[in-house]
Amino acid sequence: MLEGWDDEQLLAALGEAVKAREAVPEWFVETGKNAYAWHNIDAELAQLTYDSQADAGQMAVARSETASIRALTFTSAHLSIELEVADGSLLGQVVPPQPGTLETHTRSGMTTSPVDEAGFFALEPIPASPFLLRFRATDGASVMTGWITL
Amino acid sequence: MGLKASRPSLAGYDDSATAALISRAAASDHGAWDELVERYAPLVWSICMGFRLGHRDVEDVAQNVWLLLAEQLGRLPEPAELPGWLARTTRRECRRVVTSAGGPDTVIGEEIVMAERNAVLRAAFAQLPPRCQSLIGMLTSDPPCSYAEISTTLGIPVESIAPQRACCLERMRGSMALLGLAEAGANPPGGGPGA
Repeated sequence: MLEGWDDEQLLAALGEAVKAREAVPEWFVETGKNAYAWHNIDAELAQLTYDSQADAGQMAVARSETASIRALTFTSAHLSIELEVADGSLLGQVVPPQPGTLETHTRSGMTTSPVDEAGFFALEPIPASPFLLRFRATDGASVMTGWITL
Repeated sequence: MGLKASRPSLAGYDDSATAALISRAAASDHGAWDELVERYAPLVWSICMGFRLGHRDVEDVAQNVWLLLAEQLGRLPEPAELPGWLARTTRRECRRVVTSAGGPDTVIGEEIVMAERNAVLRAAFAQLPPRCQSLIGMLTSDPPCSYAEISTTLGIPVESIAPQRACCLERMRGSMALLGLAEAGANPPGGGPGA
């Protein structure tokens, strides 16, 4: 316990602590600080529940015919957002199908796209990574993904 | 409320306790959030390094770990367990971006205890008066500065360095006790029982 630390041990421990902090680059700390922008946001955070690339990696088999399409699924308690990357565009579907607006957040700002009655949306060109999607349903519900890097 | 936040208020130091920082950050105090990040970024960083992730993956993990924390701030099951929550979340995010199977062999409990200990040590150091910070900073630099060097740089006689060092370290012990190092289950470095 604390009483057991002599001066040398305390100095050594502090030296270690300072080194551990100095090893962390400033951009990394800034990334954390910037995340506060999402604090109190009125949206449900959807978790990444499927990633074709991760699954393919775990198979440890190179299958070139399936490598060109990347599929991702984000799931929240109330709805899912399915994404498919192909031919320079990002196609998506909100499940269960419903209309609304899709916000695409990137480092440089935010753009919006319509989501049709069938829950479909298309982003072209593919947003610069990393990006984050937020779906605002017409009925008022709001769900966002984590940061996506393609 | 967490254990640390429920301890009696002593000279305002308990404001630096993790649970108090979480409450303040949840109540839209941006400064408290920044301090939380400063405090625990080394924990998140060291776990990413353990997975040997590249720059892009580290950035990806960091963004999502802090996004999750920002989103869940007001709903963490036990604010005092933030280091554990961060470590678990970081490891999960690291595994997500690592395409090959496996991960580091480090024991997660050790990471958390070390991160908590280091955070308290840095916080206690930050509370020292500037003259103590200069002196202790020189004494802990790697390689350590000689007394002659310290004397020249700080303008204090060589013979008063040892007493000042003892005085500054005593102050640090006081701050650390208030910051709750004992609760972090810390053992002295080097494994010896000490005095």
